[in-house]
Order: sequence, then structure tokens, then C-alpha cells
Amino acid sequence: MNISQAVKMAAKSISSNKGRSFLTMLGIIIGLAAVIILVTYAEGQNLAMKAYYESMGTNTITVSAYSWGMGSSNVGQQLYDYCLGMEDVAGVAPNGYGGSRMTISYEAKTLSRQRNYGGMVSVSGGAYYGGGSDDHYPQIRLSNDKFGMCNDYKIAKGREFSYLEIQNLAQVCILGADTAEYLFSFADPIDKVITVNGLPFRVIGVYQSKGAGLNLGTAEESQWIEEDIKRQDRLLLLPSSMTRYFNNNQAIEDYTVKVKSADAVTKVVTELNGFLSNIINTNYGGFYVDNPQQWQENQNEANELQQRFLGGIAAISLLVGGIGIMNIMLVTVTERTREIGIRKAIGAERRSIIVQFLIEAAMICGIGGILGIAVGYIGTMIVSKLSFGLVMIPGSAITAGAFIISVALGIIFGMYPAIKASALQPVEALRAD
Amino acid sequence: MLIDIKDLFKIYNEGKESEVRALDGIDLQIDRGEFVSIIGQSGSGKSTLMNILGCLDIPTYGDYHLDGTDVTELSDRQLAHIRNKQIGFIFQGYNLIPALSARENVELPLIYQGIGIDERHERSEAALERVAMFDRSSHKPSEMSGGQQQRVAIARAIATHPSIIMADEPTGALDSKTGRHVLEILHGLHEDGTTIILITHDNGIAATAERIVRLSDGKIVSDGTREEVGL
Repeated sequence: MNISQAVKMAAKSISSNKGRSFLTMLGIIIGLAAVIILVTYAEGQNLAMKAYYESMGTNTITVSAYSWGMGSSNVGQQLYDYCLGMEDVAGVAPNGYGGSRMTISYEAKTLSRQRNYGGMVSVSGGAYYGGGSDDHYPQIRLSNDKFGMCNDYKIAKGREFSYLEIQNLAQVCILGADTAEYLFSFADPIDKVITVNGLPFRVIGVYQSKGAGLNLGTAEESQWIEEDIKRQDRLLLLPSSMTRYFNNNQAIEDYTVKVKSADAVTKVVTELNGFLSNIINTNYGGFYVDNPQQWQENQNEANELQQRFLGGIAAISLLVGGIGIMNIMLVTVTERTREIGIRKAIGAERRSIIVQFLIEAAMICGIGGILGIAVGYIGTMIVSKLSFGLVMIPGSAITAGAFIISVALGIIFGMYPAIKASALQPVEALRAD
Repeated sequence: MLIDIKDLFKIYNEGKESEVRALDGIDLQIDRGEFVSIIGQSGSGKSTLMNILGCLDIPTYGDYHLDGTDVTELSDRQLAHIRNKQIGFIFQGYNLIPALSARENVELPLIYQGIGIDERHERSEAALERVAMFDRSSHKPSEMSGGQQQRVAIARAIATHPSIIMADEPTGALDSKTGRHVLEILHGLHEDGTTIILITHDNGIAATAERIVRLSDGKIVSDGTREEVGL
């Protein structure tokens, strides 16, 4: 018996047992589709996370330093001056925060926040406070001409502060994308004057949305990323010297340091730690140098773990599909023992029986594999559209790999029952019902 | 001598309390072109004998020469070739493959011989024609009566032009008229020179053969013409 006849015979056997053949295929279809969808989903998630980290800014270090008591000088200013002298540092921006009770107005629109008991906050201009997206109250930051560079905000309209504006307490401000849109709708905010606690400030610039160019969609994780982007777009930036008016002239304790290259981040962190431990007596102050690169690395590791975990689940489902095939093939052999007896009685060699069963198993897996790829592609497109807002196509390597695995599983798991069936004595097989 | 059996035993559970001697020292010689009935009660060992004669089973002890070849020495593969080329089986339960049509069932042993599609079609047509089943070529076993299925089984047995036809109770599941028809086909094949070995428990059917071998408790108790064995 040649191979083409064996293939025809296997096709005949599969088509004459459509229900059973389909159930067997179902295991492979689900297993394969799961592998394709899960692996592509994990890849998409990594892409989204990477884009997010890049939007947060790379090569930045946040530093906090404070001191009090007798003889304490302004450590923030010393830190600032020290950083300016470091060769690997591209820029330093203070990160001052405005007071908790500010009222921001432009014509009829007002953004304000008042503390209620229980810590609840009410917002006029938004419905109520709940951490939701209706809360347009911005974070009020006090910084300098390097704020955009250090925090990866890009100017959409107008310009950054100038050095002189900082020094001279110029009453100018820059708005985040959300705040500008809320206060001015479609009008051009540049050179308009808003009031902050009654003081007039001229708008000189508007930042781009932090989400510009990011594709995040609606997955659970990308939802908090989106929330975070909105939070970052709710911004009112005032010159750092305004701490005099808004923060009881408290020293700014937080700084964002932009390092020139990723390689230098660790070195700068070490140097900053050394410098701060020299100037700050920890009995009368403290400091903290945060290395976000480390955090990102941890996140990457966690993502990789998650990808491996998803891959593992997918592999298990494929394995279960394979065991399903073996199970069905065993049942098939038992069910068709008499047929095997007949075939042997009329002259089938052991090899012919093995080849027939193997081809049958491989064909079931092959057809199941093709259907599984189809389901996997459609599933991936739907899942990626729903989760990331873009249609992803599974990679050809993962598709080919999964297909080969499914057919190989059919052959491996089909082997045992085929060998078992072929070893039967014809007379024993003929006795079976 | 086509079939030469000497001192043949088939013992199940040998040495145990439940030992069964299905064949207990059989000597049997059959010449080419003979029509032999093997007759006996249920459990007399006649089916076991046919299974061994047909190379479907192996004896526990004894010699079996088929056409001069010592069958007990052959490999699995060689036995498959003998079953394929030398022997045609007709079973009581027809033993057709349910998923295949009449023609496909008849062609199956030819496929195992590696015969090309044209010759296969020719031979299966001739075989189905011979048993008057050609018009049912495309029917599946479930679409045929018992007698029709048995005729297809006969067509399958003769398609390979075997030198021996072994029929195990071929009429057992058929009504008497259909049974007679099947017997007529067997006699026709015998007239063409095929050796026929017919296993039956029915004296009337056995009596149509020129030589009758009677088995009882795994032993041959008589062997001769109808008159000699008293049928």
C-alpha cells in the first residue's frame, strides 16, 4: 500500500466519523488558538508598557532632599547647584507643589478644590471628586525652564519659561493639555491671562498631551495608564520662584534630574547619594534618590515573567489537546479493533496499519491546526482591538511553530495507539465486537 | 499437497487448571482443488482449526506446511502476504468494513497487494459480477441485506484469485434460500479449480462437499466421503 492510498483511506475514515473527528480537532483548535492569542496579547501588552515608559521620560532621576533645625541651609538649592555642575546631567528641574487651596479662573470658568471633612474633596467645574475623569482640577507645579525637558513634556503652543522669568518672578504660566482644553475650549490660550488665587498669570505655553502617539486601548492595565496620562495632562506650571506666594516660601524639596545617557544613570545616582549624605545630617533632615530605570527593569522582568506564564498556560492547553488526540485514537483503536482484524485477515501488514493510523492522526491535527490558526488570527484581531485599540496580526514564526507542534503532537500521540493496534493477532482482533 | 498438518496442538492456559485443548493432535492433508467440509459441534475446535489453516492464529505445537512452506517459521509480514495472496476468507459475520462501499471493500486486499487503480477496478468489477452484486458496487454494508453482504464478502475473497477459499459458517446467518445461493457460488469456484475449505455445524451443508472431516473435542474422529462418514 502506498502513501497516497493511505492518505485516501485516512481521509475516508475521518469523513465517515465526522462528529468524533471534529471533537478531536477541537482540542487542537482551542490549544493552538490559545497559544497564538496569548502570545500575541503578551507581546502587545509589552509594546504598550514600553511606549508608556517612554512617554514618562527616560533617563530621569527624582531626588528629594530636606533638612530642618539650627544651621540648616537650603539643601534644595545646594542640590540644584551641585547637579548643574555634573558633567552627565542634562538639566535639573525643581518639582514644587502649589498649596492645597487654589482657585484658578478664566472668565466664567473656575477650578477650585476645598477640603471637606472625611477627606472628601469637592470640585466646581467637575461633577464631584471620585478620582474619576470628571475631576479637572490640575496639579499645580512650581518649576523652571527645564521642566519640560526633565519631565518629557513637549510644547504644543507657545514656549517654555525663560531663565529671567524665573529670576524675576514673572507672572507667567504654562498649561497641560487637559487644563488648557478645559479653560479655553477651542480658543488659543497664548497670552490670555488667568488668575490663580486672584493673582494674574499670562499663559505663555501649552504642553502636548502625554498620550500623544500612544496606543493604549481599553485593557485593564492600559486603563490605569490612560488615567495616569490624564492626570499628567491636568497641569498648571508656575515659575519655581512663585513658592514665595503660594507655599509660604517653603524650600522646594523635590527635583527631577535628567541624565544625558542611560549608561550614566547609575553613576549619577551614586554621586547624588554621596553628595547628599555629606551635606545632610540625617538627624536634622533626609534625602531620597529614586532610580526609575531600576523600576522599569523590574517591570520588564515582571512582564517577561507574565509572558512566560501565559506561554506556559498556552503550552499546557496544547498538550491537553494532544492528550485528547491520544485518548480519541485509543478509543478509535478499541472501537475499530474488528476493522483492524479484517484488514489484517485480508493481508494488511503491520506497517500499513501503523501508517494508516498515523496519517489519520496527522490529518486530524493538520486540519485542526489550520482551523486553530484561523480562530487564533480572528481571536487575536478581536482581542488586540479590544485591549490595545489596534489590530495585531500574530507573527509568522509563532504561527508556523504552533502548527508544526500541533501536527507533531498528532504523530507522537497517534503513535502509541497505532502501534498497539498493529500488534494485535488477527484472530484476537476479529473476535472483538 | 497444498495443506499438510502434522500433530497440531492449540492449547489455551497450558499447564493451568483452566487448560483447554482446542486442537489436540491433528493430522490433516488437503490436496489442491479439493472441496473439504470440516464439521463438528460447537466447541469441537473447527473454528480454531480454520484460524490456524488461514494463518490468522499460530499453533501451540505442531507442523503446518502450506504449499511446501513451513508456516510456523514465518514472520508477521510473511504471514500477511500469505493471507493476502493465497487465501480468501468468508466469515459468518461477513466482516465487511462499514465505512467502505461494496467495491471499496472488494478492492481493499488488492490495495494491500499494491495493484494499480485500473486493474483494481477491473478485478473488483469481475468479482462483483461473479456474485451478481455489480449493480450494488457503491452501496455500503449497512445498505445491503445479509445475503448481499455475504456475496460482497465472497467477491472480496475471490478478487485476489487465491488458491484456497476458507469459509467459516458462510451460511450461518442467512436464510436457507440465500444460503443455497452462497453454496452454489462456492461450488462454482471449486469447479474453476479453487480449493474450498468449508467450516459448518450443519450436516446438510457439509454433505455437499466431496470430503468431510469431522472434529470432536479437538480431535479428528472421521475423514472421508459422505458415505464413508455416514452422512
